[in-house]
Amino acid sequence: MLHAKIIDTKEKKLSIIEAENFISSHDYGASIFFTGTVRNQNDNKSVIGITYDSHDTLVTNSFQEIYNEADQKLNIKDKSVYIEHAKGYLNLGEISIIIAVACKHRDQAYVLSRYIIEEIKKRAPIWKKEHYQNNDSAWLKGNPIINEKN
Amino acid sequence: MKIKIELFGASRDFSDQNLLEFDVDSHSTIKDIRKKMLNYLDINFSGNENFKKIVNSSAFCSENNNFISDNYKITKNEKIAIIPPIGGG
Repeated sequence: MLHAKIIDTKEKKLSIIEAENFISSHDYGASIFFTGTVRNQNDNKSVIGITYDSHDTLVTNSFQEIYNEADQKLNIKDKSVYIEHAKGYLNLGEISIIIAVACKHRDQAYVLSRYIIEEIKKRAPIWKKEHYQNNDSAWLKGNPIINEKN
Repeated sequence: MKIKIELFGASRDFSDQNLLEFDVDSHSTIKDIRKKMLNYLDINFSGNENFKKIVNSSAFCSENNNFISDNYKITKNEKIAIIPPIGGG
């Protein structure tokens, strides 16, 4: 069972309670909640907030693919997964991503949670623009999906 | 033919419209679109090297949300998306 969504920060905030409500089940004995939050430092710069951009369809497709791969690559068939990522401006400390997983056993839950965040970092078309104390801002470099041409 | 390029991430700085539009010949490829974009950056941003690097390191995606290679041919008026290097979480 998968819930995968991009959330516009102008409309609502990401909610751990909603994630818990989705994955909660007597079928599972282990749950893990991962959140990514906006921190105040990056590369020796004082960050005051981040704007997230997203290609919504490609992102939700990538969440679905990653979830499906867990069946084959990790052999974790019985699971509940909730993934939401923010789009728009977030202040320090606000949640940019929630990955909540529930599995029968803790080993599976830890492996699955880690697998999902690492694959999202590699494959989901999401971008960050950091905003700094001096009113400057910059898009973070990121990782290319293809090899550079020149 | 006209091709529209939807801008994401760092490429949003290429235009206030979040979109670039170019006239292209029939059967132009993504490789040709990259050249058009580099030429546009030369003219409008004095060849800003950081912007050009973004174009050269980006993937492209079709209107129906499939990644497309440099050999993909444009055969009709189409809207594609540029996918610069990513980094969410």
